[in-house]
Amino acid sequence: MSRRASRATIDRSRRPWHRTLGFHILLCLCSLVMLYPLLWMFASSVRPNADIFQSISLWPAHWDFSAYPRGWSGLQISFGQFFWNSLIISVLSVTGNVISCSLAAYAVSRLHFPGRNLCFGLMLGTLMIPYQVTLVPQYILFLNLDWVNSFLPLVVPKFMAVDAFFIFLLTQFFRGLPRELDEAAVMDGCSPLRIYWSIILPLSTPALATAAIFTFIFTWDDFFGPLIYLTDIENFTVQLGLRGFLDSAGQSDWSAMFAMAVLTLLPVLALFLFFQRLLIQGIATTGLKR
Amino acid sequence: MDRITLNRRHMLGGSLALGALAGTAKAQTATRIRSYWWGAKERADRTNKVAEMYMAAHPGITIAGETLGWGDYWTRMATQAAGRNLPDLIQMDYGYIFDYARRRALLPLDGFVGKELDLSGFTQPSIDGGKVDGKIYGVSLGLNSTALVYDRETFEQFGIEKPEWPMTWDELGTRMAALTKAANRPGYWGMTDNGGSGPAFEVWLAERGKNMYNDEGKFGADAADMADWFGFWARMRDMGACVAPEVQALDKLDIDTNGVSQGKCALTFTNSNQLVGFQSLNKRKLDMAMYPAGASKTKSGQYLKPSQMFSIAATSKVPAETARLLSYYVADIEAGRVLGVERGIPASAPVRAAIEPALDDLGRKGANYIAFISDKVRDLPPPPPRGAGEVLALMVRMNETIGFRKLSVADAAKQFMRECDSIIARG
Amino acid sequence: MRRRRSLVGYVFLLPWLAGFFGLTLGPAMASLYLSFTSYDLIGTPGWIGLDNYVRILTADSKVADSVHVTLLYVAMSVPLKLGFALAIALILNKGIMGLSLYRALFYLPSLLGASVAIATLWRRVFAGDGLVNHVLLQFGIEGPSWVSDPNTALYTLVALSVWQFGSPMIIFLAGLRQLPQDLYEAASIDGATKRQQFWRITLPMLTPVIFFNMVVQTIDAFKAFTPAFIVSGGSGGPINATLFYTLYLYQEAFGYLRMGYAAALAWLLVLTIVAVTAVAFVTQRLWVHYDE
Repeated sequence: MSRRASRATIDRSRRPWHRTLGFHILLCLCSLVMLYPLLWMFASSVRPNADIFQSISLWPAHWDFSAYPRGWSGLQISFGQFFWNSLIISVLSVTGNVISCSLAAYAVSRLHFPGRNLCFGLMLGTLMIPYQVTLVPQYILFLNLDWVNSFLPLVVPKFMAVDAFFIFLLTQFFRGLPRELDEAAVMDGCSPLRIYWSIILPLSTPALATAAIFTFIFTWDDFFGPLIYLTDIENFTVQLGLRGFLDSAGQSDWSAMFAMAVLTLLPVLALFLFFQRLLIQGIATTGLKR
Repeated sequence: MDRITLNRRHMLGGSLALGALAGTAKAQTATRIRSYWWGAKERADRTNKVAEMYMAAHPGITIAGETLGWGDYWTRMATQAAGRNLPDLIQMDYGYIFDYARRRALLPLDGFVGKELDLSGFTQPSIDGGKVDGKIYGVSLGLNSTALVYDRETFEQFGIEKPEWPMTWDELGTRMAALTKAANRPGYWGMTDNGGSGPAFEVWLAERGKNMYNDEGKFGADAADMADWFGFWARMRDMGACVAPEVQALDKLDIDTNGVSQGKCALTFTNSNQLVGFQSLNKRKLDMAMYPAGASKTKSGQYLKPSQMFSIAATSKVPAETARLLSYYVADIEAGRVLGVERGIPASAPVRAAIEPALDDLGRKGANYIAFISDKVRDLPPPPPRGAGEVLALMVRMNETIGFRKLSVADAAKQFMRECDSIIARG
Repeated sequence: MRRRRSLVGYVFLLPWLAGFFGLTLGPAMASLYLSFTSYDLIGTPGWIGLDNYVRILTADSKVADSVHVTLLYVAMSVPLKLGFALAIALILNKGIMGLSLYRALFYLPSLLGASVAIATLWRRVFAGDGLVNHVLLQFGIEGPSWVSDPNTALYTLVALSVWQFGSPMIIFLAGLRQLPQDLYEAASIDGATKRQQFWRITLPMLTPVIFFNMVVQTIDAFKAFTPAFIVSGGSGGPINATLFYTLYLYQEAFGYLRMGYAAALAWLLVLTIVAVTAVAFVTQRLWVHYDE
């Protein structure tokens, strides 16, 4: 451990101050350029429409919050309904994903059965399949089940572990847990289900939380799925509602457009602020050697 | 067969139902009618107002309205039709009604006439306009035709001659180039670039004696025609008479993104009923005029048509109630007052008579325009075949290709014909 | 003992098995069948043999355009994205103060990037009278109308993709932190310069991570949809300049209800991705050094 830290400190002590300053300036500039559009968008949402196109500054001359209520009721259904729909879909997806992916990951990482490696290989394989190839038959399937224009096509697959990415994430994590726990529990007469429920799951809260948060974010941001399966405007998610707004009043009322855009980003932003540690760690582990 | 939609409405409905059970009030199940139309905010406001009036007069009916811009409207309809999930009351267009009726996606309305559907004020031609293969599939919401909408104040400000009938295409071009020059403002031109506009092309072609689609559903123009048409607009671009290609590329063929509404030009090619919608988005005074005429200045390629129609989905669970609602929209006097002439001049004579005296300036302009052109227009052309929508998209793309100098006019015309034939053949 | 274990394993896998056969394998096979038919969801699928594939490969100019656009997008966005990610990761790994803050700031766009809100913002920012051109005007440069000019429209989408370099950057950082220090110390003692150390030690040892990132980002780039859809308004324009393959597929399937044709397009995409990935995996011997 000390070895790892030592490189950074060796570097730091050896580096001349102007190089450090140079790096900081570069990084600051980079972050500013990257975040500028976001900040500008927020600034534009609190500006009157006429000011938006003239100014590039991040501090509005006149603060005007009226865009928010205007955008909220801009379509014939208020954005509140869209937020509610997105929330339901996302929460249900999180539940489904966490349950089904942890079950699959547990089987693949802790249990022995013939064909285990094949199953794991197939799971990784599905990561490479673009959704387009299953899109049409899935649509036809849901059409015949009369599930189109409901949340079911978006939520039910989550309960069937179709997001192999999370199986992968959880498998990596489970493999890191000591096997002695399992062995001790088996000797005590625990069934695999009990081991899963009472030992593995409680120890995996960070990984499960990571999976949950990522699922929420991906589902919240999902546009294509709702685009093809939700046709009634009352079932729209925020992403669809936002695009609907863009196509109508959004072309002229840009501050309302940006106001609604800001609102749709808020949940993701909030999750990021509170859980960035988890998220970053989650991403990092996917790249490390299996 | 309830569709399982897990949304708040269902949950609220569930708890309300429980509450009603506990109470003594007799439960009256609300009938829900879904309606669907295209248009901008002005139309949505009026349509929703009529829906509210209807709901007030008929407790127990709820009307859920949904609207989209023209661009997405037909895509959504195609998907919903395939999903057997079309809304009950659908706004239809002359160019698409044949396709949908023949696909059995629409309900024949003959059975409702005289009962739920009151067409007594309609002339026979207006009823016939909504017929496919002898049965009524659509009821006209109003009469319209193509029209130029232009910013009168700007014309007067720069002393440009207004585009009044009769005027040739070249004359229009000259005036527009003059306007651009007089305005002398970067990012401002005379008119929108309508080289990709199917309706404009149709009128121009008709003045040459050809229909865009003939009776057999074949494309009626040839490569020489296309080269002339695209060539005209290429000249317009070079003269500066119309907006630059990268500005036109942002036009999504609706009122909000149109160059006139965005303050980029002073004139556009559109439909007569859209004057109302345009004026609501523009501070300056707008006026209407006919499309340019052929060289002889006597013939117009325009025609009168039902601007939109209301149809009922074949899969509707509440056809009779929907028919009653449809009747309200087209035949009720109060509804007619609210809808005005935003969708065209109402086809029902009593409604027309009732709203005529109360028409505001805009409404009067619309009515006068239709009256003015009535003796100059030609007959309704044959309906377009399947694939016509794709041909419209192809026209836009070819016009852009020339505009951005990817292809010469001659080559683009040839490629257009190739792809157009392929689209029509595919069906 | 063993026997009971193996059954239990499959019990846990039941949800996944149902999903795999019912929602992945089954539909994939069905779509293969559909690709040889003509089907508009209203009638029944009609067998037309290889007609769809023939049309795609020879007679459809939009396919050619969309393949061109997609390949260009992948070829530009992936190297740029990985380049930025690696560069910033290397800088951050030098023990800069405020590492976690920078890391979080750079990662935020990756989280937000897929949403409609950002695509909408991008469309406005890169419009002819948008933010980017306003900024350029400050420097006296008159920018083109980025999103509505076919020569530049694709670049805006590439920029959006590169803007999200935070995700691969985090993986690079994690990889860098795993590098063993003894190699560097030995090299320093031998008199190797910083630059030599980078090219001879850091880069080779990072190749597995680079490979991983490359594969993941390439597959993601092939699947991109939302930005192209929102920025072009669903048209893929102007003149198909932003017609991603996925967008064209969507138009064919849900715009024109040509399901058989869309299925054929989808299968060609799968084959392409499999081929590209296979090539990547096979050629990795040439340049990827695994720690043995």
